[in-house]
Amino acid sequence: MNAIQDLLTLMFFPGGLFVLALGMSYEWIDRKLMARVQNRVGPRWFQPYADIAKLLVKEEVIPADSNRLLFIALPILALAGALTAALYVPLAGFDPLYSFKGDLIVTLYLLSLLTVCTGLAGANTTDRFSLVGATRTLTQLFSYEAPFLLAMLGPAVAARSWQINEIIADADGQWLLIVQPVGFVVALIGLLGKLEIAPFNAPEAETEIVAGALTEYSGRGLALFRLGRHVELVVGLTMVAAFYMGGVNGLPLFILKTLLLLLILVGIQSLVARLRIDQTVGLWWRWGVLLVLAQWLALVIWEGVQA
Amino acid sequence: MDTTVPQRFVVPIGPQHPALKEPGHFEFTVDGEQVTGASVRLGYAHRGIEKATEGRNWVQNLYLLERICGICSHVHATAYCLGVEKLAGVTAPPRAQAIRLLVAELERIHSHLLWLGVAAHEAGFDTLFMYSWRDRETVMDILEALTGNRVNYSANLLGGVKFDLTPELTDQIYAGLELLEERTHQYVDVVTSDATLLQRTRGVGVTTREQAEELGLVGPTARASGVERDIRAEAPYAAYSDFPVKVVTATAGDLEARFVVRLQELFEAYRLIRAVLEKLPPGDLQARMPRKIKPAETISRVEAPRGELFYFIKSNGTDQPERIKVRTPTLCNLASVCVLAIGSQLADVPMILAGVDPCFSCNDRMVTVYSGDTDHTQWTWKQLRQYGIDYYRR
Repeated sequence: MNAIQDLLTLMFFPGGLFVLALGMSYEWIDRKLMARVQNRVGPRWFQPYADIAKLLVKEEVIPADSNRLLFIALPILALAGALTAALYVPLAGFDPLYSFKGDLIVTLYLLSLLTVCTGLAGANTTDRFSLVGATRTLTQLFSYEAPFLLAMLGPAVAARSWQINEIIADADGQWLLIVQPVGFVVALIGLLGKLEIAPFNAPEAETEIVAGALTEYSGRGLALFRLGRHVELVVGLTMVAAFYMGGVNGLPLFILKTLLLLLILVGIQSLVARLRIDQTVGLWWRWGVLLVLAQWLALVIWEGVQA
Repeated sequence: MDTTVPQRFVVPIGPQHPALKEPGHFEFTVDGEQVTGASVRLGYAHRGIEKATEGRNWVQNLYLLERICGICSHVHATAYCLGVEKLAGVTAPPRAQAIRLLVAELERIHSHLLWLGVAAHEAGFDTLFMYSWRDRETVMDILEALTGNRVNYSANLLGGVKFDLTPELTDQIYAGLELLEERTHQYVDVVTSDATLLQRTRGVGVTTREQAEELGLVGPTARASGVERDIRAEAPYAAYSDFPVKVVTATAGDLEARFVVRLQELFEAYRLIRAVLEKLPPGDLQARMPRKIKPAETISRVEAPRGELFYFIKSNGTDQPERIKVRTPTLCNLASVCVLAIGSQLADVPMILAGVDPCFSCNDRMVTVYSGDTDHTQWTWKQLRQYGIDYYRR
């Protein structure tokens, strides 16, 4: 009986299909808001579903000079990573499905899996656009990952725990973004870098390198990568909302807080031009890391004084 | 793989590429993100128009030449009409000349707004792209109301123009200009103050005045480098002597300067259009043209939105031209892309390319290179057509 229940939770609700549906809905909201800001009509609500369905039934062309196994396995791995990460966060306001000491670190690394897979997928082909895109994807990974990680660890230090559950419980509904504003901003902008959206979309700058690392992907592989991205959007928003905006108890609060964050993300991406990859790296290491480290130092000293 | 020879990593842009909406082929050799070499290959949209004009009469050619470019169709027709009128010794009436100027400036507005959108898109700034294209619809509507067409306005006739201004049209133009002027002020503000856009434009693709003159740049691209070159001011045609143009220049020569020059030219266009509407000369719209033109040759130069447009026209006493040669501004500007791209970042290349406002299909020429003592034959239209069919059958 328990096994069946576990299976249902994993496959349908709140894991599996539910996460995918939620991801695609958020993707739609993102696209629709973006379109409205830009004075366009924007897609209808089922557009992301239609896109994925279309990609899934389309023929997948595997380039002759790439490793077949890697080419097929990487998108699956990327989506699996994102879906697994979803199990450890308080999705839709429910308690995380699984929890253990240190699950924060595991979740953050599972989230990076998508980017690593994208980079490897680009490097796996001999397409020139893919190779440049892969280089940029991995370069970007090394620039935003450290500050993003530090920003996520801020609340963990305050709570003296590396368990997502306990961190949220420790904050006890307080909005940490008031006491750790730098961490909040860095986490939110780190999310932009993670999802490769403007201004950090140099890895898939269509006017330069077509679709970047994923240029050779079509059909199922592309669909899985995109699903992975949609899921990651939801997981990322959930984590930032849960850590910095006083937790997400219950569905209404979850939707309210994550949508508010999404609105901010849309605002940022509609107001900026694309940064060059060297400018992205410069921005993160010159400002992101230093600011978040300074806040960390303050936090550690504050904790020390209290103790 | 031979490891002794350093591998060249070439990033091809075009003939099919999201950065280019028209077919052109650029090869950029890169070292990481640094561009170390650049080459260009044109000719994907060659249509043989110059040759085709030799088999059509003077009136038919007007419609053919208008279709050289979809963005600046009116200036092509104007250059052709002015040239043919010069050959025939006919002068179009002042009212027709003023309306030619009016349509030309409206076309410049639409072209520059289009460019602003494309350049913003290359920089990844899609919001500016969407906004500028939305506002461009205002001028497109005006052109449509005026001439009935959005692309090939067909406003010119040999010896005059087809359309007259009505009071309702004048009101619509005034209202449209007011909106556009307000929006243009905002665009100038955005391109000179938006931090992320400036990171992509300020100091990127700098063309010095010497380089601009050496490479023979024309139009806004040259004017952004401080070269005061504008046919409207140097050799006024149509009604430009009655409505003089202030040449807009900048000195920086980078992409930001090109944005600013083109946007400032919009203000100049608004001013000119208002001046024409206020002091539109009365009179006929068309002068009488002869059907045949005695043997002679002439050149005709006009300022297209992208720079100097040059026509050479030769008549042979019949109702058909002997030879028409067109030199479009993009051809003059394109060489600068290959020079500027070297040493810049790969990410800046589409921006540098867009910076000259390239227009490929009006660019494409067929050149047959004769080497040594090969037979210098002239190809007939039929042979040329057959060559085209055979070439693509392979």
